[in-house]
Amino acid sequence: MLERLHRYLSAAFAFGAGLCMAGIFAIVLVNSLRRYFLGRSWPWGEELPVYLAIYGVMFGIALATMQERHIAFRVLTDFLKPGLQRIAALIVDLMTLVVGILLARSGLMLIESRGGRDASGLVTTMRGLSREYDMAWIATLGTLGPWQFALVLGGGMLALAAFVQLLRRLFAPLPVVTP
Amino acid sequence: QTIRFGHVDPAEWTSSKKGAAAEVFKMLVEGESDLTVELFPAGSLGNENELIEQAQEGLTQVVMVSGAMSRVCRAAQVLDVPFTFADATVAWSVLDGPFGDELAEHCLEESGLRTLAYGETGVRHFTNNTREVRNPSDMEGLKFRVQPIPLYVEMVNALGAEPTPVPWTEVPNALATGLVDGQENPVGVIYGNNLHQLQKHLTLSGHVYATDFLVINDEFFQSLSEQEQAVVARAATVAGTVGRAIQQFNSAQGLSAMASEGVTVYAPTAEELGQFRELAQPAVLEWLREELGDDAEWIDRLQAALDS
Amino acid sequence: MSIFILILGLVLGAPIAFAILLSLGIFMEFAPAPYHARIVAAEVFRGLNSFPLLAIPLFILAGEVMNASGITHRIIAFSIVIVGRLRAGLALVNIWASVVFAGLSGSAIADTSAIGRVFVPEMEKAGYPRDFAAALTAASSVIGPIIPPSIPVIIYALTVTGVSVPALFLGGVGPGILLAIALSAYVMLTIRRIRPGAATDRAAYDAIPAKFGAILGGFLPLMMPVFVVGSIILGVVTPTEAAAFAVGYALVLGGLIYREVNWRDLPRIFSESMRDSAVILIIMAAVSAGNWLLTYNRIPNMLTDWVMGNIDSTTVFLLMVIVLFLVVGLFLEGIAAMLVLVPILHPIAVSMGVDPTHFGIIVIFNLMIGLITPPLGLCLFVAEGVAKVGMGPLIKRIMPFFLVEVLVLFIITFVPQTVTFLPRALGF
Ligand code: NA
Ligand code: NA
Repeated sequence: MLERLHRYLSAAFAFGAGLCMAGIFAIVLVNSLRRYFLGRSWPWGEELPVYLAIYGVMFGIALATMQERHIAFRVLTDFLKPGLQRIAALIVDLMTLVVGILLARSGLMLIESRGGRDASGLVTTMRGLSREYDMAWIATLGTLGPWQFALVLGGGMLALAAFVQLLRRLFAPLPVVTP
Repeated sequence: QTIRFGHVDPAEWTSSKKGAAAEVFKMLVEGESDLTVELFPAGSLGNENELIEQAQEGLTQVVMVSGAMSRVCRAAQVLDVPFTFADATVAWSVLDGPFGDELAEHCLEESGLRTLAYGETGVRHFTNNTREVRNPSDMEGLKFRVQPIPLYVEMVNALGAEPTPVPWTEVPNALATGLVDGQENPVGVIYGNNLHQLQKHLTLSGHVYATDFLVINDEFFQSLSEQEQAVVARAATVAGTVGRAIQQFNSAQGLSAMASEGVTVYAPTAEELGQFRELAQPAVLEWLREELGDDAEWIDRLQAALDS
Repeated sequence: MSIFILILGLVLGAPIAFAILLSLGIFMEFAPAPYHARIVAAEVFRGLNSFPLLAIPLFILAGEVMNASGITHRIIAFSIVIVGRLRAGLALVNIWASVVFAGLSGSAIADTSAIGRVFVPEMEKAGYPRDFAAALTAASSVIGPIIPPSIPVIIYALTVTGVSVPALFLGGVGPGILLAIALSAYVMLTIRRIRPGAATDRAAYDAIPAKFGAILGGFLPLMMPVFVVGSIILGVVTPTEAAAFAVGYALVLGGLIYREVNWRDLPRIFSESMRDSAVILIIMAAVSAGNWLLTYNRIPNMLTDWVMGNIDSTTVFLLMVIVLFLVVGLFLEGIAAMLVLVPILHPIAVSMGVDPTHFGIIVIFNLMIGLITPPLGLCLFVAEGVAKVGMGPLIKRIMPFFLVEVLVLFIITFVPQTVTFLPRALGF
């Protein structure tokens, strides 16, 4: 049950991360080709891949937490007895859980205070699209809010990932992985 | 109390307008009051957009910014309409007169930031590496680096050239490698960053007069005693003036140095400038009216101030 | 309190990024105004909100696609044909394959695992001790991020103003090759002691049926750095876009020419590249958020003032920098160390008259040596994971290589031309 949850969540995070990576690659490549051959570039060609990367990082850190792939300082814990190592790992899971919650909360506060600001490269395009298709919500994509939301989502996913790891460590003796 | 003063220019006062303004502000305020001023030059606390956000939150108290002001007070964009001011002295009299006061009042309501004084980033000109540009038809097909700001994209498009948004940090590289043919900036910025070594031709188009805004978090300002407020306001006015003076000095110095270092400098005739204006201004105004919505009245207010 | 949490987190083996974010987050929750909980998110967002930063995931993606395209054994075959018959031939192949691999990948870890997996068994067959082969793989993979393309170079150029990515890319070529030569000289001189007896390296050379084909197979990957750096210098693309072109090149090479990329693997390659980038980028974002707080309290200024007031010789300063980064490299991951220290040290170096490109390469070289020094050396871990020889023997074997690398570091530090020659010649 726990293992299945772990598998599904990992797959979901991996899917999000891969999608963002593909989007970044495609937009940066096509935009530079367009500029070179047509002399024109998309006004959003810089900003959108950057925001995709922010989302990608958030999926990526959740996935890396599931797979214990983060860069950490394991010099001292490597010398501990397995029992103590497990306790240290549990504390780290808890710390990660708190980081996720703090990040999500902080992100919400950020959106509340600054989410309405224009995302300068996107605002004109998104307002244009919003008028063209008569859908007001598209215009909000021209503001920072939806992109800052990456931090809220990322914090949530990180907390979830840390929680699953914590449970797995509590109920099943996970092997300690060193990347 | 401590005033944190942030800006993105270098600290060195002889070659940096905001650096000079900040130094003068610090000396005057510290000399005439018990306030302490800590300077954060060279974007050490963040870029202009971030500085202005930090000022709104009261993390920093005073910041001096140029383009970023229009992010929190959209009406400020009217100052960037191409070929609005015939030269810098015209801009000074408009900004230091009733129009400048009204705009400052409006921006205070919009952003919570009080404009204490106007400085200047400079008058922007085109440079390029391909050919001497005397009139808009010479711009045809050239790729110009622009700031990633729609107004500049519209302007360069209207002039028949290809606007290419490139982040500031990549500009020297983009010019050196020919990613873009040219760029547009005030002479002081071009010379101060050695961009002239990468460019052959300078056209004194003077297309945009770029303003510096010296602003203070109004909540903080109101928390000061009346006497301190007077000191801060006076110091800011002096700082803005010093900033303009250093900017003018750097531009004059840069212009003669660039000419002697082999950049061809062309000053368009009144007729040629008229051709530039006729292409650039209507296109930008049309875009800006739509962009500003209710704030579009500031276009007309500025026009009225210029006419009077 | 926050400092305590930071240290506790690090000691317990928490991810570096999370230790920083946790201490910063708790500080911002409880510190009085003007501090505010929102600042954490604002600064993390700011730390990630940068177009040039995209070069990092894109170059990692390019490396992963290359890895999946069966390119490693082509590079090794190419190197065997070129240097395999020389004295200590297979050891030289290990080193020079890393030089070629360096042109494809921006990270040393990718190099260690790719070459180590294929080549450690090969060297063992020819009579080299397994722990020596693993140590050599780790030591030579340090060349990877010094020869372009290079992720540390991109990060360095992002942290300071006034150095360009192409100049640093070109500046790394000389030191990278110098390091390969120094390592080669060392193994050629000591081969008798490393591998007593009569075993030779001929077998690997003779096992390659078509020598000319092997050279041809290595030619296309060799063109990648030329293509990447060339397209930047010619102004076709910015460094960030060049990274996207590198991915395109890798896809065409592996997918259409070699036809070894399994297209079904692509989704996995994309998500793993994003994951591995995220691990680096979140550290960058966390450190940049932490740096903001330090700057806000003028701590870097104080350090700078102290250095400027107490050190007036450039030589002393550079020696101090080398020792500092070597010590820091023992314990800290290179990129985190760079993000914290470079914004302070780079301006001092420039004001002392050190060429910015030269200083950048010194720092990067210095920190890359940290990849093979215990206790925290990522390449060491990866080499151990691949070769399974145990940390102790590996560390013993790595020591001479470490000394060779420090020697090269001194050469490039005090003979600046070794770094600046190529960028100067090409007009940077
Ligand atoms: Na490389
Ligand atoms: Na190390």
